[in-house]
Amino acid sequence: MNTVNVSRRRFLQSSAVAGGGLVVGFTLSGCSSAPAPLPVATTEGAWTPNAFLQVLPDNTIRFYTARSEMGQGVTTGLSTLVGEELDVNPLDMEIRLASVHEDYVNPDFGMQGTGGSSSIHAHYLQLRQVGANTRALILEAAAQDLGVPTNALTTDNGFVIHGDARYPYAQFVNTAQTLTITADAPLKPVTEFQYIGKETRRVDAIAKSTGTAEFGLDVDVPGMHYAVVVRPPVARAKALSFDASAAKTMSGVTDVVEVGSGVAVVAKTFWQAQQAAKNVAVEWESVALDRVSTASLRADYAAALDAGDGVEAPNDGDVASALSGAVTTLQAEYWAPLLSHSPMEPVNAVVRIEGEYADVWTGIQFPSAVPGLVSRVADIPTENVRFHQCYLGGGFGRRGTPTHLVEATQIAVATGKPIQLVWTRENDIQQGPFRPASLMRIKAGVDHDGKLIAWDAARAGGDISPDTFRSLLPALYSWMGDGMVEGVANISEWYFENFVTDESSTEGLFEDYDHPNTRVTHMTVDHELPLTFWRSVGHSSTAFAKESMIDELAHAAGVDEVTFRLQNTRNNPRLNNVIRVAGEHMAKMNPPAGHFLGFAAHHSFRTDVAEIAEVSVEAGKIRVHKVTCVLDCGQAVNPDIVRAQMEGGIVYGLTAALYGELNLSQGAITESNFHDYPILRMDESPEIEVIIIDSGTQPTGVGEPGLPPIAPAVANAVFKATGQRLRDLPLKLA
Amino acid sequence: MIEFTLNEQQVSTDVSPDTPLLWVVRDNFKLKGSKFGCGAGLCGACTMHIDGVAIKTCVTPVAAVAGKSVTTIEGLGTPDDLHPLQAAWHEYAVPQCGYCQSGQIMAAAALLESNPNPSGADIDAAMSGNICRCGCYPRIKRAIQSVSESALAYDATVTTGGQA
Repeated sequence: MNTVNVSRRRFLQSSAVAGGGLVVGFTLSGCSSAPAPLPVATTEGAWTPNAFLQVLPDNTIRFYTARSEMGQGVTTGLSTLVGEELDVNPLDMEIRLASVHEDYVNPDFGMQGTGGSSSIHAHYLQLRQVGANTRALILEAAAQDLGVPTNALTTDNGFVIHGDARYPYAQFVNTAQTLTITADAPLKPVTEFQYIGKETRRVDAIAKSTGTAEFGLDVDVPGMHYAVVVRPPVARAKALSFDASAAKTMSGVTDVVEVGSGVAVVAKTFWQAQQAAKNVAVEWESVALDRVSTASLRADYAAALDAGDGVEAPNDGDVASALSGAVTTLQAEYWAPLLSHSPMEPVNAVVRIEGEYADVWTGIQFPSAVPGLVSRVADIPTENVRFHQCYLGGGFGRRGTPTHLVEATQIAVATGKPIQLVWTRENDIQQGPFRPASLMRIKAGVDHDGKLIAWDAARAGGDISPDTFRSLLPALYSWMGDGMVEGVANISEWYFENFVTDESSTEGLFEDYDHPNTRVTHMTVDHELPLTFWRSVGHSSTAFAKESMIDELAHAAGVDEVTFRLQNTRNNPRLNNVIRVAGEHMAKMNPPAGHFLGFAAHHSFRTDVAEIAEVSVEAGKIRVHKVTCVLDCGQAVNPDIVRAQMEGGIVYGLTAALYGELNLSQGAITESNFHDYPILRMDESPEIEVIIIDSGTQPTGVGEPGLPPIAPAVANAVFKATGQRLRDLPLKLA
Repeated sequence: MIEFTLNEQQVSTDVSPDTPLLWVVRDNFKLKGSKFGCGAGLCGACTMHIDGVAIKTCVTPVAAVAGKSVTTIEGLGTPDDLHPLQAAWHEYAVPQCGYCQSGQIMAAAALLESNPNPSGADIDAAMSGNICRCGCYPRIKRAIQSVSESALAYDATVTTGGQA
């Protein structure tokens, strides 16, 4: 075994190597050589062996969760990984939400970000190694203190065991701090797991059931004032002038200041700020988006598809000749509209600036963005920005965009007051950033054996990467001026329009099936709408097009939908197996008269999922009674949370499938709140059964992959029920 | 001056009488468990009990609760003294992001007060005013059913080995 000095930095780096080459310790700025101090609690007598763990004198084991908890259960999942090897029950740990530090980066991203259903996959070996190394050190210290050989000792949930005696880990931390650490303590074999793969509850459930979990909106600091921003009806329009004289006379109002995105009204309470904001008259500039409606946007996409002069990737084989030789060919067009994420907690942030220091409280998916953005706006050193992560009241991609932090900091600077900025629900639904709309055309051919031989797919719509650059570059690169940031974003737009497809624009449109002749063409059409990731990103649209077309082809070829999929996914054995297992379940189902089963399968975020929707159409209304979900996500670290994520992805996807659409009129979003942007409610929520295939591989994603198959599964069932192929989302019967 | 009972304590406030109860409870009395979701009575995140009835408080002026009894999630139970529904929420791993759950639990508690043995349809009807964006509905339903009177009676017979 290697031994190294028990320096925290080297401990982690060595752990990372032992953990399979995961990159830990990536420095964002690249310009500081000394590691920043760990942003952990300075509890008296606490031992901090690394960035993730503290052992307190009363034997409390404190765990710092590096990924953002937005409901996906990552506090439970990551504490289970470290607890498995440390031998501490995750439900007995004290869970803290980590601040910003290089040791907390997502090994998949090289920065502190939570998304892409990556957390468990990315930290699976790293955090287990952290737990194993720490336990080995405690055992070595215990052996020395007790005067017995290490192999005479075992552990049990935070205690060292010697014969009948139990000693708390905390008893040995003084000695542990003097020892060298084993960098590659052996990890447990899967057969010895006591927490991973077992049914466990959630570490955050009691706090979240008693109103004691602190979300960003719950933060309350002395002297805090509340801000609401009057925003343009059309995205990104700037205020030309405004009249706040009426608002300023209203009760509680202390300040009205212009910020980059609109006019901020500041008051002693949120209610006062919100009421006063209605009394600010603003003249907005005209922008190009003013002339865009839903119909014109879609017509622009259709024209781009007709022109067909986009970026081709991939372009394998000879699609044109394969199509001409096919026995069955079909062509169809599919539409997915603009969507809002609408997390239940509206976006918000608290910013307090005192001299050269700032404190920031918010729940955010990209904590790495916080110090850079706040220091840039407040003109203070990056290292003086103290970030306090909160629970996220839903993320779904929305909390990856940090523009509200810029606004809150601008208002705090302008007023000199601690500020809580709150987006109203109307702001949330109307201002974006949105899930991009997509118009997709697929032309496909099948030979006489029922084999897919040609797949010619095209998508027109906006790309999300340019806006990602706009929001994150100023945070990550303090030397970049605003003009340069905009320049880079504009160059990226030009690049995606002409040279390379933005991956999230076509992901999921072509990868799952075996078609030797494949062409994907992408036409970027940019209307300057703010766009971003939305749960399952490109897959949320492309799976609908792909799985609807597959179903249409199977029907046209006279092959049942499961057999057709099995025949054409032999190159993707894990997806093939998921389809096979789901097909076996479907064959045993006996839906009541008037109920029909629709099938869909999709690979996303390294995970394979098939879903069967039991649907009826009654009085012109689509009702989804039951959904059966079969998935392979490798090792399920917490099977109950895997089930919960499938349930959640299905319900979120059903809202989109049955209701979700934002419409544009003269550039403005016409929907505003839950009365006209409806969300699926309990009385419409189906029974959901989740079947997890244990394939024994390392964990793959679960936060997003449950969503993509549900819309096509429902649409394919509606076809059986009515004979109507619904190719527009949301699904509306003719 | 408006006086009312908040979690069994007499309180008074001199805020503008049209201020929604939600904001008085959150900003003036600093109880942050009840949430702001829509501001229009559409999502239920702000649900509290007013004289035992589940009410959406983001659209309820504080003047309307003068002399009445208001219970929030903090008054229902605490981490050390959980209400049976809160214990069931833990047992069935109901919450995901958790933001809507205070409102969900308050709506469920009011339902069980008035109907200790709700049917599935009763639960749907009582709970469909509360949106959960994470999609916890199947678990919310299961958790409510687990603390219905008949389920608890069944549990008691199983525990004591008696007969139903």
